[in-house]
Amino acid sequence: MSERTTQFTRSLGGLFHRAGIFGAVVLILAIGALVSPKFLTAGNLLNTVDSVMLLGIVAVGVAFVTYSGHYADLSVPTTMAFSGVMAVEMLRFGFVPALLAGLATGLGIGLVNALMVGRLRVNPIIWTLAMSYLTMGVMRWLWSNQQIYPDVKGGDTGAGRLFTELYRHEVLSRIPLPMVILALFAVAGHYVLTRTAFGQQLKLVGSNPSMAAMTGVRMPRTVGLAFVLSALAASVGGILITSLSKVGAYYNGEGYDFDAVTAVVLGGVMLTGGRGSMLGVLGGVLMLGLMSNILTLLGVDTFAQRIVKGAVFLAVVGVSSLLARRMGRDDA
Amino acid sequence: MKSQIRNTVVMLAAGAMLAGVSGCGKQQSAAAGAGRADAAANLAESLKVDLSGIKSQDGQPLLLALETKTPPPRPKDPDALPETDPGHWYDMEYAGWNTAKENIPASPKDGAIGKRVIAIINGDHPYLTAYSAGMKKVAEAYRMKLRILSPNWKVDVQNQMLDEAVNEKPDLIILIALDAKVAILQVRKVNQAGIPIILSNMHPDNEAMRYAICWTGPDDWGQFRMLAKVWADKLNRKGGVAYVRHAPGGSPFFARTFGPASELTAYAPDIKTLDMQAPGFEAAKTQQVVSDWIMRFGDKLVGICAADDSAQAIGIAEACKKAGRSDIVVVAAGNSKVGMDAVKAGEIHAITYQSAEADGAVALKAGADWFNGLTVEPVRYLPKHVITQTDVDTFQPAQW
Repeated sequence: MSERTTQFTRSLGGLFHRAGIFGAVVLILAIGALVSPKFLTAGNLLNTVDSVMLLGIVAVGVAFVTYSGHYADLSVPTTMAFSGVMAVEMLRFGFVPALLAGLATGLGIGLVNALMVGRLRVNPIIWTLAMSYLTMGVMRWLWSNQQIYPDVKGGDTGAGRLFTELYRHEVLSRIPLPMVILALFAVAGHYVLTRTAFGQQLKLVGSNPSMAAMTGVRMPRTVGLAFVLSALAASVGGILITSLSKVGAYYNGEGYDFDAVTAVVLGGVMLTGGRGSMLGVLGGVLMLGLMSNILTLLGVDTFAQRIVKGAVFLAVVGVSSLLARRMGRDDA
Repeated sequence: MKSQIRNTVVMLAAGAMLAGVSGCGKQQSAAAGAGRADAAANLAESLKVDLSGIKSQDGQPLLLALETKTPPPRPKDPDALPETDPGHWYDMEYAGWNTAKENIPASPKDGAIGKRVIAIINGDHPYLTAYSAGMKKVAEAYRMKLRILSPNWKVDVQNQMLDEAVNEKPDLIILIALDAKVAILQVRKVNQAGIPIILSNMHPDNEAMRYAICWTGPDDWGQFRMLAKVWADKLNRKGGVAYVRHAPGGSPFFARTFGPASELTAYAPDIKTLDMQAPGFEAAKTQQVVSDWIMRFGDKLVGICAADDSAQAIGIAEACKKAGRSDIVVVAAGNSKVGMDAVKAGEIHAITYQSAEADGAVALKAGADWFNGLTVEPVRYLPKHVITQTDVDTFQPAQW
C-alpha cells in the first residue's frame, strides 16, 4: 500500500470516528424526511427521543466498560431487574429508602463485577454472563417466580404511587424526568471521560493495557470502577423501567445488554477500547431510535427491524475494525 | 458318587423352585385380589373428591364450568382462504376436535388418589406460577404426587425433561408444548412408552393430538372473537385498528391477532386493519411502536388490540397519553393485576378473563377424571368472559 493510500485511509478512519455517527444521524434524518412528511415534526422526534431515554441511561454506563477494552457488561439486564425489584420490595419503608435500596443493589452487583474482572482478571463476558444467571436465579428463588407491585408493597404510605409516577414525572411540568437524568448522566460521563485522571487512565487501559501497567495505572481500580459505573447506570435504568411498567419482575430489562452495546459501538466507541466519546454514544442511541421510527413508519414489521438492527451492528463493527487495523490498531 | 450328589442338588433345587413358584403364585393371587379391592376402594374415594369449594386467589371457583363448542365443517382448503377469513385458521382453532386418536391407553379406572404425575410446563412466568398453584390445589385434593418441571422456554431442555419423565414411568404426564411441531414427536414418544399424556395451555400441531388423551386450556380464538365484538361495538363498528402481537411461534401469536381480525371481517367490515407488530413484552418498546403508529396513521387509528394486558398495555397507555389520544379504544388479553388496574382507570376498555390457576387445575382434573374412568372430551376449554369497568372488581385481587 502506498504512503498516499495509507494516509487517505487514516484520514478516512479519522473522519469516520469524528463525524461518523452524526453524519449517519443527518443521513437518516434526510431519509426519514423523504419517507414521511410527518417524520421531521417536533412530535415525532420527541416521541423518538422519549422511546430511547432508558436505553441512553444504560448505554452511558456500558460505554465505560467498552471504553476500558472489556467489551460489554452482560449483567445489565438482571442488574436492572434486581434493582427494580429491590426498590419495590423496600417501598414499605418509604420512597427514598426504596430508591436507595435499588441503587445499593446495583452498586453491590457492580462491586462484585469490579472485584472479579478488575482484580482477578476474569474474562468480562463469561463473568458478567455468569453474574446474570446468578442474580436471575436469586430473584426467582427469593420471589418464587412472582412479580411484585409498587402499590401493594407501598401499602397506604403513598410510596407506591410516588414510585409509579417517578418515570412519568415532568421537570418544570414539561421535561420528562428520564430525559433530565439522561442529560445529567451524559454530561457527567463526558466530564469523567475527558476531564478527570480516571478518564485518562481508562483511555490508556483501553488502548494499551501494557503501557498503562508500566506507567503505574492501578488497573484493578480503574477497570473495576468502569463496571461499578455500568451497574450504577443499569440500576437507575432498572428503577425507571420498573416505575414505567408498574411491576417489579425478573424479566424487566431483557435485551438492554445488546441494545446498549449496539448503541455504544454505533456511537464510535471501539470494542477494543480507548476510543470514543459520550456524545457519540448519545448519537448511537438516537440512531437506534430513528431507525426503529423510520422502519415502523415504512410499515416494516418488527422481525425485519431486528434483522436490520443486527445487520447494522455487524456492519459497524466490521467497518470500524477494518479501519482500526489500517490505522495501526492490530488488536482490533 | 459325584453324579448322585449332583442329582440330589438338582432335585432339591427343583423342589425349592416349585415350592417358590407355588408360594409366589399364591402371594400374587392374594395381591391381585387385594389390589382389585384397593383399586375399587381408591376409585370410590376418588370419585367422592369434591373440588367445588376450592377458590382461586381472585375469589373465583378454581374449577369453573367448562365450555364446549361444536366445530363447523372444515373448509376444503383452509390455506387457500385469505387470512381475514375465519376458515383460514380452522386447523388451529379447532385443533384436536376431530382428530382420530391412536394407541391411547385405556383408563385403569382405579381412582386418582396417590397417582404419580409429572407436569412439564413451558417456562418461568408469573402466569405459569399461578398455573402451577392451581394444579397443586387439585393434586392436594386427590393426594397425587405431582412434580412440576420448567425448561424455561428451551425446547431442547423440554425434550430432555420429557425423556427423563418417560424413564420414571409416572402414571400421567402433562405437557405445555413449547413448539407446535416438536410436540408431535414429544407426544408420540410418551404414547409409545405406554404413558398417558394430557396437553395443556398452548395449542400443539393437530397431529400431536392423536396421541394425547385430551387438550385443556383457554379458548384463545373464541375469547378473542368475543373480545373483538365488544371492541367493535365501542368503535361503532368503523375505523382503523392495529394489533400488538404475542411472541412468535406459539398459538397466541395467531389467535390474538387473526382471531379478532377475522371476526371483524363479518361483524364489522368497516373496521380496517392498519398494522400488526410484535415489539415483545416491554413497555418502552411498545410505547415506541404505538407512538409511531399514531404519527403514521393519525386520526385513522381508533383502536389497538394487545396480546398482553401488562407491559404492552402500559406502553400503549403511555403513548396514547403523550399524544393526547385518549379516544383510542384499547382491548387486551388478560387478566393481570396491571391490566385490571388499567381497566379500572379507563386506560383499557376491555380484557379477556383467563384464570391462570384454573388453566393448571383443569389439566390435572382431566387426568383425575381419566383415572376415575369418566368421559374425557378431546378438548376442554376454560370459560370465556370479557371484563370491563362494570365488573372488574369481581375479579380482584388478581392471580398474578
